[in-house]
Amino acid sequence: MAQDYAIEAVGLEKIYRPRFRGRSIKAIADLTLRVPVGVKFGLLGANGAGKTTFVKTLLGAVNQSAGSATLFGRDTREAEARRPVGYLPENHRFPTYFTGTGMLDFYAALSGLESRERRRRIPALLESVGLKDWGDVRIKKYSKGMLQRLGLAQALIHRPRLLILDEPTDGVDPVGRRDIREALNALTDTGVTVFINSHLLSEVETFCEYVAILNRGELALEGKMSHLLAGRGYRIAATNVPEQAFEGIRLAGGAVVEGGGNLGSDLEIRIATREEANAVIDRIRAAGGFIESVVATTSSLEDVFIRTTEAEKAA
Amino acid sequence: MTPNLDTKLSRSRARVFLALIADTFQEARARWLFWGLFGLSTLLICIFLFVMRIDLVAGAVSFMGIESTSRRIWDIRKFVNVSYSWVSVVLYTWGTFLAIFASSGLIPSVLEPGRISLLLSKPMTRTTLLMGRYMGNVLIVGANDLYLIGSIWIIIGLKTGIWEPRFLLAIPISLFIFAVLLCVVVLLGVISESAALSVMVSVSLMLISSILAQHQIVVKLLDSEWSRNLWLTLYWIVPKFFDLGAAMRQIILFDREANWIVPVWTSSIFGIVVLWRALYLFRRRDY
Repeated sequence: MAQDYAIEAVGLEKIYRPRFRGRSIKAIADLTLRVPVGVKFGLLGANGAGKTTFVKTLLGAVNQSAGSATLFGRDTREAEARRPVGYLPENHRFPTYFTGTGMLDFYAALSGLESRERRRRIPALLESVGLKDWGDVRIKKYSKGMLQRLGLAQALIHRPRLLILDEPTDGVDPVGRRDIREALNALTDTGVTVFINSHLLSEVETFCEYVAILNRGELALEGKMSHLLAGRGYRIAATNVPEQAFEGIRLAGGAVVEGGGNLGSDLEIRIATREEANAVIDRIRAAGGFIESVVATTSSLEDVFIRTTEAEKAA
Repeated sequence: MTPNLDTKLSRSRARVFLALIADTFQEARARWLFWGLFGLSTLLICIFLFVMRIDLVAGAVSFMGIESTSRRIWDIRKFVNVSYSWVSVVLYTWGTFLAIFASSGLIPSVLEPGRISLLLSKPMTRTTLLMGRYMGNVLIVGANDLYLIGSIWIIIGLKTGIWEPRFLLAIPISLFIFAVLLCVVVLLGVISESAALSVMVSVSLMLISSILAQHQIVVKLLDSEWSRNLWLTLYWIVPKFFDLGAAMRQIILFDREANWIVPVWTSSIFGIVVLWRALYLFRRRDY
């Protein structure tokens, strides 16, 4: 049966209870999140927002307290649900007694791959992550970036349908980052769902089609990246606006008014919607001010992230 | 589920289990535990070879001052059997101590953050993961027991010409008590992730078992009913390291009074309960 969602969490909750004394911590609260099959999805959140707990709940490393989570329609508490998943954890600690080839062979065996298939896949994967000549070297000699690339190969070894990557480019140089991005793009072209948990907003912005922001264990924002970033507002530069008109401009659409704007203007006004922008322009003109410029602006993901987390904080 | 898919899944699970066992061997080798265990066993074998340079048979004859040929053969056999029985006890104790030390770190190491989360993301149950590790440890120690006790048996056999197969009972008995004590190592590994604590408790259990085994004497000396009951309760709970060693010695000596059934089943129950608890806690823990 074809599944619509690679990941589906409904009312998911995780409470860490202390073993003896102390306060319980709600790491995830009533989280409902759906990741469609075949998309590139980014999960964002400040430290302690519950991102890693969410990922670990999906992968069976953390037991959920309430709600449900499925991977391709299968309950995450079943071991078989994890078969189509490739995972690269943050702060991974691969056993250093392995060689690159040995490590891939071990994790591939744990993923259920037959030895003949493993022998065939490993050299090709090592080559694809730029570690062709490093297969027989013990991984304790690997640099951080090399370990990250080897970790990615480990996640890909069994041809997963869902890749869950925790800080995938951590410690990787810019060229390596681009290579990883291209490799992941190629994967999504084949229908693989990529779920990235990252602090690097620019990277998520460049790569992901969908994004969700977690804040204190709750879903603060979710949507298509293009919707979240595009048409986010307008910037109006104006001169000769009397001070008594400021309040009216604010009232016209919740516009933000800043003194000492650029472009030779006295004011720079940021407005969220087209309707509000028109209302503000009318107010400025009615007060005898001059419009110097009107620019449609797009937010960066950082803007969206900060706005969302701060709004939640204020609430 | 179709039979074909069922077979595929079974094969996949077997592959996972074998990979976990192989990984335990690989880690033991990389951490020098494997070589340390076999190196110390080799040292013991060498010491034994050196000791056996003294002609045991001729020495026994001269020591016992035996003259008559028929009696001489019988007494030499008895002497060798007594030697076998004591050597088996030494190997049993030595082997178990070494095995506990060697295996104590192999459970907590797999629970290290960053390693366990990746392992748990694979399509296997937590029970499989822990049992794979457990079996890996048992097989390493089994191989060492086979090497150590088998070598000593061959040396004594070659030297005396008396091949006593009962001596080889030390292999399964040593392995059995190690498997029981390893359950404690696993439980403490899951709870505390501390190799040192696992060793402390397991070795203490071996010593405590030796003290508790003297219950027939101690119970007579204790004046209150509750202290006698406490002693006996503890005796029945704690794995019977001492009793099994004593039973093994008696079996080698053809002693019909040898009681190995009770120590085996009580220790088995202890091991099963402890291992079940370890698996239960492991399934419930967040990593």
